[in-house]
Amino acid sequence: MAHLREVAIAGVGLTHFDVYDGDRGRLFKEGYELGMEAVLNALQDAGMEWGDIQAAFCGSVYQNTGSGHQALDQIGMTGIPIINVENACSSGASAFRLAYQSVATGLYDIALAFGYEKMPRGFIRSTAWPLWQRYMGFNVQPAAYAKESVRYAEETGATEEDFARVTVKNRKNGSLNPNARFQKEVTLEEVLSSRMIAKPMRLLHCCPLADGGAAAILCSKGKRKSKGKKVTVAASVLCSGVYGSLTGGSGTAISSVRIHNDLVELSANEAWEKSGCGPEDMDVVEAYDTMAPGELWDLEKLGLCKKGEAPGLLKTGALNIDGRIPVNTDGGLMSRGHPLGATALAQIIEIYKQLRGEAGARQVPGGPKVGLAHSMGAGPNSAVTILKR
Amino acid sequence: MGGDELAHQSAKEVASRSMRQIPIKEGLWTVPFSAEEKPRLIGSRCLRCGEVYFPSKAYGICVNCQSRDIENAALSRNGKIYSFTVVMQRPPEYYKGPVPYAEGIVELPEGVRLQTLFTDCNFDDLKVGMDVELVIEKLHEDEEGNEVIAYKFRPATRSKGGAD
Repeated sequence: MAHLREVAIAGVGLTHFDVYDGDRGRLFKEGYELGMEAVLNALQDAGMEWGDIQAAFCGSVYQNTGSGHQALDQIGMTGIPIINVENACSSGASAFRLAYQSVATGLYDIALAFGYEKMPRGFIRSTAWPLWQRYMGFNVQPAAYAKESVRYAEETGATEEDFARVTVKNRKNGSLNPNARFQKEVTLEEVLSSRMIAKPMRLLHCCPLADGGAAAILCSKGKRKSKGKKVTVAASVLCSGVYGSLTGGSGTAISSVRIHNDLVELSANEAWEKSGCGPEDMDVVEAYDTMAPGELWDLEKLGLCKKGEAPGLLKTGALNIDGRIPVNTDGGLMSRGHPLGATALAQIIEIYKQLRGEAGARQVPGGPKVGLAHSMGAGPNSAVTILKR
Repeated sequence: MGGDELAHQSAKEVASRSMRQIPIKEGLWTVPFSAEEKPRLIGSRCLRCGEVYFPSKAYGICVNCQSRDIENAALSRNGKIYSFTVVMQRPPEYYKGPVPYAEGIVELPEGVRLQTLFTDCNFDDLKVGMDVELVIEKLHEDEEGNEVIAYKFRPATRSKGGAD
């Protein structure tokens, strides 16, 4: 394999994640405006001009042809390549990986990864299922996670209260995040009495929809202009469908009885190998909580604890901001909301801010040095990013 | 029930008898020649690595080992629930059956897990490990009034026994 150069994050930008439909006094914004806003924020944070950017990768799912072009043509038209990336909920991480690769291999010195989404209302619509399976009612995202939750409960003894505690913790963290869609805490009782969506998943186990944008500028050594602590990319891994893996919300992937593979484990192992880090080194983690219980088995599959241990860690506060393994310090998908193209980048940005000590009221104490962000996506995809300072 | 209503009722029956049954997709299950025979799901078996798939692999490639040495296999009519859920909210598109509805994953003795709807059951009784059996029944009516049929599983009827 080619020698890879060190890649640092030069700057990041986010929009406020919200519903920009112009209804009931809410602001109206077009999707591409959210992309623009995130990119302009990242340029400012990086202390760079648009002319510094040599390539751009844009993640989105529902934004039609040329989502990246739509967002960038009001900023500057400099002839650089713009690549549009659709990889379901892991689109943002996939765009990040492409920007990382293009700098690591020496093709460019400065590359932009961004993502944005203006979400259609209601259940997240997925056409990843064959048409006849959609007629069978198989393509309901919360139902896929519900089935995985039932298995998880069967195998580990986890309870509905354990699932609800994920929402309670993440909404508490989200109350400290000015960019989150939901900044109000919820109680265990509120979660457990919320409307049933797909048994045993209730409304408050589901992440809310949101519109938003996120951007990160990556650069090679010596190109960084921003002040503050340097954060480098220790690993940026993407694994797609592997036979024998049952993964929530992932189209037609159904596990074999005889062959066991797990997509999350596969991507985590590759990330450990590439970064030279192990699970024990992680000071802060963004896990994939599109549905609350997903955070529990995610932590176990990533190797941050043993199977069945996550509910206990959650209950005893080990996953809190001041706990042993702080998880989803910005409130996760549960509080931010889920603009598909932006979500995975928002996770990476939270790790970056935590490592730089710029996370404000939700800052993990003790100066975290290494962190991990994990996103899943229909397809299926699993993306693991490890940042270090 | 008055005479008019009876006449109306029987007209509806005639209409329903003449209604065409259309499978949700061709080739998902066998169509028996006699009443004694029962339909079975059609899967694929790889002759190299032994993996079994449902639905059958239309392009003849084993996605586990990439062998093209693959054949169709009629699968067991009985299996166990691996996982399940009850969907309480109508999906935004496509699905036209009743809501709430139960769906899940059934494990067959051949070693394949497949996604299915559940029928003829009390939702509260569904459990991981429950014995279930295949049925072919109505999914919904299409715009022309045809009955679209699909495979589903229901709690197994114990007395039937039968080694299949």
